[in-house]
Amino acid sequence: MSEKLLEVSGLKKHFPIQRGFLRRIVGYVKAVDDVSFDVYSGETLGLVGESGCGKTTLGRSLIRIYDPTAGQARYHTRAGGVVDLAAVSRAEVRKYHSDIRMIFQDPSSSLNPRMTVLEIVGEPLINHRLAAGDELKDRVADLLRRVGLRPEYMQRYPHAFSGGERQRIGIARALALNPRLVICDEAVSALDVSVQAQTLNLLMDLREAFGLTYIFVAHDLSVVEHISDRVAVMYVGLMVEQAPKALLYSAPLHPYTEALLSAVPRPDPTQRGQGRRIRLLGEVADPAHPPSGCYFHPRCSYCLDRCRVERPPLREVGAGRSVACHRAEELSLRGVLAERA
Amino acid sequence: MLVEIKDLHTHFFTREGVVRAVDGVNLDIRRGKTLCVVGESGCGKSVTAFSVLQLVGKPGRIVSGSCLYHRQAAGQTDVIDLARLAPHGPEIRRIRGREISMIFQEPMTSLSPVHTIGDQLSEVVLLHNQVTRKEARQRVVEMLARVGIPKPAERLDSYPFQLSGGMRQRAMIALALACRPSLLIADEPTTALDVSIQAQILDLIAELQRELNMAVLFITHNLGVVAEIADEVAVMYLGQVVEFGDVLSVFRDTRHPYARALLGSIPTLGQSTRLALQGARQAARMYSIRGMVPHPFARPQGCAFHPRCEAAIAGQCDRVAPPAVQLGDGHWARCWLHAGQAG
Repeated sequence: MSEKLLEVSGLKKHFPIQRGFLRRIVGYVKAVDDVSFDVYSGETLGLVGESGCGKTTLGRSLIRIYDPTAGQARYHTRAGGVVDLAAVSRAEVRKYHSDIRMIFQDPSSSLNPRMTVLEIVGEPLINHRLAAGDELKDRVADLLRRVGLRPEYMQRYPHAFSGGERQRIGIARALALNPRLVICDEAVSALDVSVQAQTLNLLMDLREAFGLTYIFVAHDLSVVEHISDRVAVMYVGLMVEQAPKALLYSAPLHPYTEALLSAVPRPDPTQRGQGRRIRLLGEVADPAHPPSGCYFHPRCSYCLDRCRVERPPLREVGAGRSVACHRAEELSLRGVLAERA
Repeated sequence: MLVEIKDLHTHFFTREGVVRAVDGVNLDIRRGKTLCVVGESGCGKSVTAFSVLQLVGKPGRIVSGSCLYHRQAAGQTDVIDLARLAPHGPEIRRIRGREISMIFQEPMTSLSPVHTIGDQLSEVVLLHNQVTRKEARQRVVEMLARVGIPKPAERLDSYPFQLSGGMRQRAMIALALACRPSLLIADEPTTALDVSIQAQILDLIAELQRELNMAVLFITHNLGVVAEIADEVAVMYLGQVVEFGDVLSVFRDTRHPYARALLGSIPTLGQSTRLALQGARQAARMYSIRGMVPHPFARPQGCAFHPRCEAAIAGQCDRVAPPAVQLGDGHWARCWLHAGQAG
């Protein structure tokens, strides 16, 4: 495997819950609670989980939209050095904002309606003093062409574009500074299926063309399967499983992964009603008051007494695989290919 | 047969021009069965559903067509044309919420934020039944228990914001089913929910459907959900049904190029894992439909899909709108490619 680009270890982001006139802190929402993973250069790491599992907070903590509460995010710079993005000052972090970019979910709220496409895509170039005047226009035109938009439209405002085109504008903006790592936060979730397919193809083409690395945050397991090389599953602020894509989907090790995979509706009417789905009882735990022991135990069908009291650590089980489950070795869980046999 | 939608046209008269959101839709909803309507945003699937209940707001209105509701009461069936009823009249209000009811995508915006769950549900019960407040409250508790809300008696005094997304959707379902309707219209009811909660809600709807022998008109853009629950499927594009048939025919013997393209452009779970296990270094490119859905004011002539269709016949598809071609046993598609075969 290629070299590491980002090493995240023990990253936490807790949001205080404040009450009353004095804004006393009465508790914490542990949105991200002790998450560790590595990102290798040139790969796509999928990050999946249900709403409230902390996947968006994690992405945002990495580029310091939020300041992490604890932990490290060691970024390997172009110059060959290593810098801890979680510890350096905000001013210092700005230097790396050209290397690490973000694409947001909702293209209509992440583009300023009062700026033209030229201004939106060109803004990072101006801010980082990389281009101005005619050169700026040329750079923006080139970027628009790369994402499949016509450069003639650069004087238009976002409202003149469809949802898919707006997402392309967001992608062009992310690419303007020639980044190395792009965090795609639900980048295709708001799009219609046909536009979603076009955008996924575009993202994959751009990865090849620019040698990009993606952290692909999404809740759609089929999309993540399609685009990712490795996948990490989160549950209530914790990482519960991490593995190369094919292994995670064909032979999951964590009961939550298994249940999540089984709940995805398949576009094949012949596969319905075979008792395929594992019923996940109840709802995702509240990150302000997580359950004791393993956070997943109240919904887990393989739960033992031990799971109720002792929280399983994320531990390595074989090459590039880690899982946070006491029973990972003894259970044999169903993957996505099993029911076809 | 429960509801027959015949050549329905619902248009929106905006300042910029007329948007033909629903442009000649024909659909049959059978008693006790699930009909799924799929399509991308702007294809008119929601407006079709709203038209059935006369809920289309200004500047839209039903221009022509009919929507025949076969009502069974006291051993006999009478037929009511819902499209002819006045949108605010007493006839439709008797049907709405009692015989035909609806659930929406975002329960937070369709439940009142300033009334408790108990009040909102008992209102429906009181409106359509001759019962006392106390009896109504009792009914509500039973309903909330039936849709799987834990401790229903305590939940009566909760406001919607105090419930989670899944619980709110359950409350909505309880609200819609309070009067045991014969048709439930569900407009993207699981789109805002996580997969595990989505699975719970789909199971719940199916259970209640069997129990009440109710028909479901399910509007969605998620083809996985369609495969999971549908008896019959209608694929819509730009205000028209382009393919209709039972779920197996539509998924296994897809005829319309748009329906085929739609099915081809979703990643199927397991596909890329299988490729990776066979040693493929990278996932194949996704199939994608070229171009994009045209602007509603610039509806193409002839078959609306022809500018994006890979099999379009020049001189025919771009001139004349294709007829609905019967492909056997209730399966039909609006496409010139199949017009020859049927003769």
